[in-house]
Amino acid sequence: MEGQKLLFESGNELAAYAAKQINYHVMGYYPITPSTQIAEFLDQMKADGTHQISLVPAEGEHSAAGICYGASVGGGRVFNATSANGLLYALEQLPVQSGTRFPMVMNVACRTVSGPLSIKGDHSDIMYALNTGWIILFASEPQAVYDFNLCALKIAEKVKLPVIVAFDGFFTSHQKRRCYVFEQDETVRRFLGEYRPEYTALDLEHPVTIGSYMNEPDIMNNKYQLHIAMEQAREECIKVFEEFAVLSGRNYAPAQGYRTEDAEAVLFLLGSAYETAKVAVDLLREQGKKVGVCTANILRPFPAQELYECMKNAKTIMVGDRQDSYGAGGGNMSIEIGAMLQKQGSEARLLSRVYGLGGRDFYVEDAQQMLETCLESKAPQFDYLTVYEGESDLKSTQYFNVITEQEATPGITKCTFHPEQARFEVTGARVSDTCAMPKRLAPGHGACPGCGIPVNLNLLLRGIEGNVVMLFHTGCGMVVTTAYPKTSFRVPYVHNLFQNGAATLSGLVEMFRQKQRRGEYPEGEITFIMVSGDGGMDIGMGSAIGTALRGSNFILFEYDNGGYMNTGYQLSYSTPKGAKSATSHVGKYQYGKQFFHKDSPQIMAATGIPYVATVAESNPVDFIKKAAKAKGYANEYGMAYLKALSACPLNWGDKPSTERSVISAGVDCCYFPLYEVENGKTVINYNPERSNKKIPAVDWLGMMGRTKHLVHEEYAHIVQSIQEEIDRRWERLKARHESELL
Amino acid sequence: MQQVTLPDVNTFGYYEIRLESIGGLGANLAGKMLGELGAAYLGLNSAFFSSYGSEKRGSPVKSYIRWCAPDHPLRITSPVETPHILGLFHEKLAGKLPVTAGVDEKTAVVVNTTCSPDQTRDNLKLYAGEVFCVDALKIAMDTKSRINMVMLGAIAKASGFIELEFLEDIARDTVGKKYPALLENNLSGMRRGFEEVRSKRFEADGKYPHVSYQEVKNSWGYANAPIGGINPQFGSTVSNDLSASRQGYLPLFIQDRCINCGLCDTTCPDMVFQFLPGEYRGKPAMVNTGLDYHHCKGCLRCVEVCPTEALVAGLEQEHPQLQFARQNKDLIASLPEYEDVGANSWVTSESHLTEQRMDGGAV
Repeated sequence: MEGQKLLFESGNELAAYAAKQINYHVMGYYPITPSTQIAEFLDQMKADGTHQISLVPAEGEHSAAGICYGASVGGGRVFNATSANGLLYALEQLPVQSGTRFPMVMNVACRTVSGPLSIKGDHSDIMYALNTGWIILFASEPQAVYDFNLCALKIAEKVKLPVIVAFDGFFTSHQKRRCYVFEQDETVRRFLGEYRPEYTALDLEHPVTIGSYMNEPDIMNNKYQLHIAMEQAREECIKVFEEFAVLSGRNYAPAQGYRTEDAEAVLFLLGSAYETAKVAVDLLREQGKKVGVCTANILRPFPAQELYECMKNAKTIMVGDRQDSYGAGGGNMSIEIGAMLQKQGSEARLLSRVYGLGGRDFYVEDAQQMLETCLESKAPQFDYLTVYEGESDLKSTQYFNVITEQEATPGITKCTFHPEQARFEVTGARVSDTCAMPKRLAPGHGACPGCGIPVNLNLLLRGIEGNVVMLFHTGCGMVVTTAYPKTSFRVPYVHNLFQNGAATLSGLVEMFRQKQRRGEYPEGEITFIMVSGDGGMDIGMGSAIGTALRGSNFILFEYDNGGYMNTGYQLSYSTPKGAKSATSHVGKYQYGKQFFHKDSPQIMAATGIPYVATVAESNPVDFIKKAAKAKGYANEYGMAYLKALSACPLNWGDKPSTERSVISAGVDCCYFPLYEVENGKTVINYNPERSNKKIPAVDWLGMMGRTKHLVHEEYAHIVQSIQEEIDRRWERLKARHESELL
Repeated sequence: MQQVTLPDVNTFGYYEIRLESIGGLGANLAGKMLGELGAAYLGLNSAFFSSYGSEKRGSPVKSYIRWCAPDHPLRITSPVETPHILGLFHEKLAGKLPVTAGVDEKTAVVVNTTCSPDQTRDNLKLYAGEVFCVDALKIAMDTKSRINMVMLGAIAKASGFIELEFLEDIARDTVGKKYPALLENNLSGMRRGFEEVRSKRFEADGKYPHVSYQEVKNSWGYANAPIGGINPQFGSTVSNDLSASRQGYLPLFIQDRCINCGLCDTTCPDMVFQFLPGEYRGKPAMVNTGLDYHHCKGCLRCVEVCPTEALVAGLEQEHPQLQFARQNKDLIASLPEYEDVGANSWVTSESHLTEQRMDGGAV
């Protein structure tokens, strides 16, 4: 056996540790709970200089999977990690990876698939991957996550297929355990050997075409090759597990059982629940009940024979599914085990139970109850566990009156279009008067103390009189306002997927207009407002640009707090250069984020929409006026895009009370200049140079914990490059302000 | 490595600790340190995990530690229901939130409080157990350390078997490595927590009932919830009480000084200010009539922007009666009870590479 050391780590940490020891060439990734930590830990280790992996933060999982595919055709070792909707968003890339036979390893910290959105663990994501041609290993505890990550790459390279290492989100990804890792990275590298790809796009002496167009006879043969490789993997997995056992002393099999030899009732569970059920088995065995539990460590290739060995003496078999294949009478494991039993000619009774969805905890008592049900002669074949009807005499409370159009139209902020100048003129918008606007959001939401999001939403809505319907992208703003069974919204509200808000709202607007045209909806106006964080404007940029180009009639409001705050602050493309985040650590070998903040107003302006503007809470009147203008444009001329710099005390690392000054400094240093592009004409609305308020960027950067380190002399060149970029953008803006044409 | 023997284990062979706190006080880091302490210094098999959710500050959080003999497998991943040690980092959580669930005669309850064990037992309505009181806030301020470090010292003392020197070792290896400049302060906070904690044992004398651990169950179930997760109860978060998110301070309103400029209403993230049509200096105006403190998280943004010092920061405990406290003006339902929640009802800790303090520094 090789030397090992004790660590106290979680599944995610161990996946990262294994990746570091392997020293993969490239990791393409996009943060999604609960798998995000894997990239975070690798980034931390990179800042400390313990590995050389290129960590590439994509703008969405589809691209992350694309980066991985591109890297793998280059003939090196490639790594990824994702969960839930991230896996589904990347899904179409998966069969390409396997179908063209490029090995890589992807970790899936399993989580429930939206919607309604939930971030916690179940197996509804991983079951979508069953038909992708990837080998799937499933680890039931953190130690196995480490072990399988090492085995996975070896298996992948042997049979030329990509491998998923799956494990329970949170229960396994986040629980820290005592575990063992190889002391020397060299041990891992020796175990894996050198990777010699058969084909690569970088072999200039042997030019190959990767990704042929194929017709019908060839696809059959190509898929048969994949089938053969998968069957070959059946043997290779066992061989690699055996080889690994010699090194580590830890034994794994494709499937394994606990006290199943003479069991009359056998429960099948995947993941951490299998471990918990062992405790219940011991308890029932003490009472003389012949019960056992089994699991699969490999889902693809499916270990049918090995599982049958665990079940062959049982009279009743119960499969616990942490997901459902709706209408199939059970989840995917029920279906596969049912098919296996039928092939074996088994006469055992098969029961299915759906349990633990959305991270509902799995207790020893749950396992005990499942096993006891197996021992009963009468039990429904299929059921959901732990669901409840709800209180029968429940009265619903109406907290507020519905906000009428009249109440929402006090006539404080007035907007008139001047066609000759192609401009809206806004009057009113006095801060104190606009306090009369009804609040479309109720208090009691769960944002952090001092959070900028509700502040910005309230300022926006102050300037928008009349009816509103809102759509939120995934992000802090939606999570803190709509945690079931409550909601902060007093007006109609929709949430859809992270990257798809603009398209969704354009569909809703289309329905509204279509219904009005057909006389199915009363005449009148609704202002449709889409709200997104800067994260949603990374992953959803494509949809936003497409919708803008189509000229859909709504306001797209972006609150830019410069990071993926809802998942614990990973870098976004709008994070300031040099800022530290969970995926841009500061260390000896890294100074924080490596590239400049995205200039999204200019991107949106380039689509030619009639109105683009930046707003800041430090200039409330300007903010309210722009909101009113945006309404004017959205309802008559096409899309309006507004962007606010939005404070995040938690992740900016500053005092909640001082956020308005921090925003003000962001504006005064011209990092976030206040301007508008109205029908193509740029106007700077507030010029800090004129009022002698312009400050160097470093003054603003020094106000926040995330960028405070940049003040030190050693980062002077970074600060200088940030200042130069800010100046460059500012000078261009001034030139645009001066010219009708620019 | 030393090999300790656990003084007591439950039916499944585990010694269990539960920490109850709000995001930002460092309970997660304390839990992580205890977990590592078990595995790396006490020779135990060990697990640590937290309640999970979106990453928000000021929300109720729970941390769990599960220890057992080194050769005993850790197979359970569900929350700690009947803890051997319960650490209560934020006294204000006790009330409608069942933070003391599962406490019995065998539980050591370690509380961050200025009160005596007798008073604390009454405040918490504790069924039984040994109550350990430590003024962690004061010690943390005195020693320039953190509440979590003081609480760790007190927890070690309460356990009866965690020696202070091991705790110091783990502090050196974790916070010491990350923030070497803060190490000595943290160690002295830890020591004083260990030394200054006062305790008293209470039998199950029937004074207060036993509170058993229960899973969250909402009143909407599959038979009565609107389909698709749709929520027709518009504006229902108004029934949340977020006072537990405050960390000692709140804004006090001095109406005489108010010029009704409305800036407070533009900076408040929590729609606390109640402006109503009225009269100011003989003219019709929107007038600030007061604050709905149920929703105030104590961020003090309003104090910072108020041009006339009509809003000032006050220590909450010095102002039990709040002048100009008024209910949300739009509310039509009479609310017999607000539901106590933190800043986010579904908790914290995705990355927690550093936990930040309210004033902006790191733990």
